[in-house]
Amino acid sequence: MIRRIARKELIDMLRDGRFRLLGGLVLTVALLALAVGWRQYSEVQRQHAQAQAATRQQWLGQTAKNPHSAAHYGVYAFKPKSPLSLFDTGVDPYVGVATWLEAHRQDEFKYRPAQDRTAAERFGELTAAQTLLVLVPLFIVLVSFAAFTSEREQGTLRALVSLGVSPRRLALGKALGIAGALALVLVPAASLAVVGMMLTQANSDVLADIPRAAWLGGSYLLYFATFLAIAMGVSMRAASSRAALAILLSFWAVNSLVAVRAASDLAGTLHPVPSAVEFQRAMQAELSDQRELQARLDRRRKELLAQHGVESMSAVPVNFRGITLQEGENHGNEVFDRHYGRLFDTYSQQEAAARRIGVIAPLIPMRSLSMGLAGTDVAHHRDFVNAAESYRRQIQRVLNRDIEVNSRDGQNYEAGASLWAQVPEFIYSLPTARWVVSRHAADMTLLVGWLLVAVVFAFTGVRSLRVD
Amino acid sequence: MLIRILRHEWRMLTRDSTLAIVTGVLAVALASGLANGMRWRTSQESAIDDALREERIRLQTAEAAMISNREQHARVPPFSDPANPDTAGRNMAARYAVMPPAPLGELAVGQSDLLPSVYKVTTESKHTVLATSDTENPTRLLTGRFDVAFVVMYLYPLLILALTYNVLSQEQEQGTLALVLSHPVGLGRVMAVKIGMRLALVAGFIVAFALATALAVGVPLGDAGAVQRFGLWVATVSLYGGFWFALAMMVASRGFGSAMNAMLLSALWLALTVVLPSASNLVATTMYPVPSRVEMVQAIREASDEANASGAALLGQYYQDHPEFAADQSGQTTTDFNLVKLAVDEQIEASVRPVAERYDVQLASQQRLMDRLRFLSPAMLIQGVLNDISGSGVSRHRHFVEQVAAYHEAWRSHFFPLIARKATVATYTALPSFAYVEEPLRDVVQRTAASLLVLLGAAAALATVGFATLRRFTVVGR
Repeated sequence: MIRRIARKELIDMLRDGRFRLLGGLVLTVALLALAVGWRQYSEVQRQHAQAQAATRQQWLGQTAKNPHSAAHYGVYAFKPKSPLSLFDTGVDPYVGVATWLEAHRQDEFKYRPAQDRTAAERFGELTAAQTLLVLVPLFIVLVSFAAFTSEREQGTLRALVSLGVSPRRLALGKALGIAGALALVLVPAASLAVVGMMLTQANSDVLADIPRAAWLGGSYLLYFATFLAIAMGVSMRAASSRAALAILLSFWAVNSLVAVRAASDLAGTLHPVPSAVEFQRAMQAELSDQRELQARLDRRRKELLAQHGVESMSAVPVNFRGITLQEGENHGNEVFDRHYGRLFDTYSQQEAAARRIGVIAPLIPMRSLSMGLAGTDVAHHRDFVNAAESYRRQIQRVLNRDIEVNSRDGQNYEAGASLWAQVPEFIYSLPTARWVVSRHAADMTLLVGWLLVAVVFAFTGVRSLRVD
Repeated sequence: MLIRILRHEWRMLTRDSTLAIVTGVLAVALASGLANGMRWRTSQESAIDDALREERIRLQTAEAAMISNREQHARVPPFSDPANPDTAGRNMAARYAVMPPAPLGELAVGQSDLLPSVYKVTTESKHTVLATSDTENPTRLLTGRFDVAFVVMYLYPLLILALTYNVLSQEQEQGTLALVLSHPVGLGRVMAVKIGMRLALVAGFIVAFALATALAVGVPLGDAGAVQRFGLWVATVSLYGGFWFALAMMVASRGFGSAMNAMLLSALWLALTVVLPSASNLVATTMYPVPSRVEMVQAIREASDEANASGAALLGQYYQDHPEFAADQSGQTTTDFNLVKLAVDEQIEASVRPVAERYDVQLASQQRLMDRLRFLSPAMLIQGVLNDISGSGVSRHRHFVEQVAAYHEAWRSHFFPLIARKATVATYTALPSFAYVEEPLRDVVQRTAASLLVLLGAAAALATVGFATLRRFTVVGR
């Protein structure tokens, strides 16, 4: 019985010009967004990979010089693009693409791509994720708002119920039918997305992205099912088609538009970030406070003297300059960790607060989850920033150790290609899907919660279904 | 007759809860938007205060240190000597170029959260000075702000459509339209009154509410140009509302049912405020893509390598890379080093300039295309206008950056002769300072005039088509 109802609903929909038009539009927009995203990803990834290789060559090709000069020459780190960014570009336009890894400094990433675009960028990029987050729910609303109300207005609902069709079966059948129609639109788009993903993977493994893609697909299915259930529930209860549409459109507008901005602003007020000047000033103040550093250096001096059983530093068989440099780095690193850590923690607090405030809109956890799985959220940026910073510290350790061990104070020491080659290449790989999912447990819980609420809403609507 | 229709319409509107809901939602939204906008303005102003305070303290400290060094004849390493013009110009004496928020800046955050309004000017190269970064959460930049501009651009049309989607179809579905038109009054006039009254009520409400709230919370309307800008804002809100009312009327005049009207209008709203702007942005960035800045980073790096290689021929590579290890600290070696660094920096900039210009040219092409495409969507037109009125658009920022670049030149012209002459910095109190010169209001009006005129034209055209269709409207026999 349910299958029969579902088939009838599907056929109805396929014959409906509105569905064909809307579905065609959604599919076109999604495909266009995917194509553009694929092209942008390939282009940017190629540029960044080539730049990363070039900076490595520049490092290895340095002439003979003092290792600390090489530390100041440094290397550049270029932010890689996640393969799934073709689906959801996330915050990529708003984070810097490059940073300079040199001694004594942790710089922020500079050059946000959005600064090189017009103000129209702020309308949002037309990505496949945007289509799924905003357009598809509207599509669901527009094809299902009249599922019950039109039958009621035409008088066929009374006839159906009088035939002994249980309202619950009817609801399930209609839902399945609409879901089937949706699948007709979305499955081609999804398959093409997967194909696009596989095409972008020149030499790296596609398998790494499949878990993320699978989680993405599953989450969006939950999201669509939620909207479908809500639309059904409203359609069952509403007095007329017009009323159902008005209610559903209002919900859709608040969900897509209002909630996320309002939540973001409120969260920003609760957890403000310092201004750039204040951030730098506070960091500089702590960096300039070298009392603890001097104390530490004095201790090291005493240790060395005791260790080698000599009275003066000139008799110690290491270059204390190397130790000074490294201790200076350690002091700086503590300060950087504290300040940058606090800044990124503030971002996380803002996002958590926005999620709590935005419990009224399923788009908020869905968007957060989508960006996380696509690898284009702030957490992934933070992960790369930390990886680049670890690499920077590794460089300093290698170079300072060389100064300490292989040179003497006052000597005009120069090292060469053999030392540069001791610094390994900077290899970064994206975190695993498990890493993402564990961080987004709250988002997943909210999504599942929403689905449960929506299904309960639909089922209780069945019981109170008005026949006329 | 007209009075009778007006009174009748007023009675119907006030009985229906829709108007009350719409104005209620608008009130809440505008209040939140204004609150957010004011908070943003406050944070901008306090960021500027942070900068100027940091500068004042730093300069005072440096001046005091310089005087005490002189008196005590202290030997200070060059890189921490406030009297060293290279150290001063690059570091210790650095001053900020700031752009304060414009009058009515609280009405639109625009691009001001993405484009910096505080630059630290030093003797470093121009691309270094301009590549400043900010601490704003990237997710918040992506989401956008709930400010008054957002309410006007997105919610205002939605609420207009909620008020007008059934303005004709409801009467028809209830069967009262035939009764109304049995009076000696044309459908055109009836619709004009219905739509006109709604337009007056909604637009008037927004303007009155904005004015009242602004006065109540002390938005400085007395500032230079504030009243004119508010006048422009009122015109913008009215014309934008007029467009959407005209669009709703045109759709209503075709005589579909209420549900169909709602679907059509919501689809049109989505297309005009969400899809078309994003699609236009896509077209512009695909046709004139600004390449990733990594290219510029590489160019700078390569130019530095080349320039440094030749510069190092003059001094040992070791001293150039690490001046604090310069054995001879009498000042002679290091100021030679400063001279070399000057020459090297100039060469780097000359090599990098064509690369940097390519970015500017490409972005300008993108902007020109967007300037043509924006006429496709009223939301795009309005975004530019609202940003310009509040001073948070790209044009004002470009105007600011030009002044910053000029100040940067002046800064270097102050310090480079000192470095070349191997002189010392005399005082920290007579350094070149930056004062932002606001763009003339005339420019703002000129920029916004085209958009507003097109909006007016579009609204008029839609209204004309709507009225023409209404003349052939059949009430019975549908």
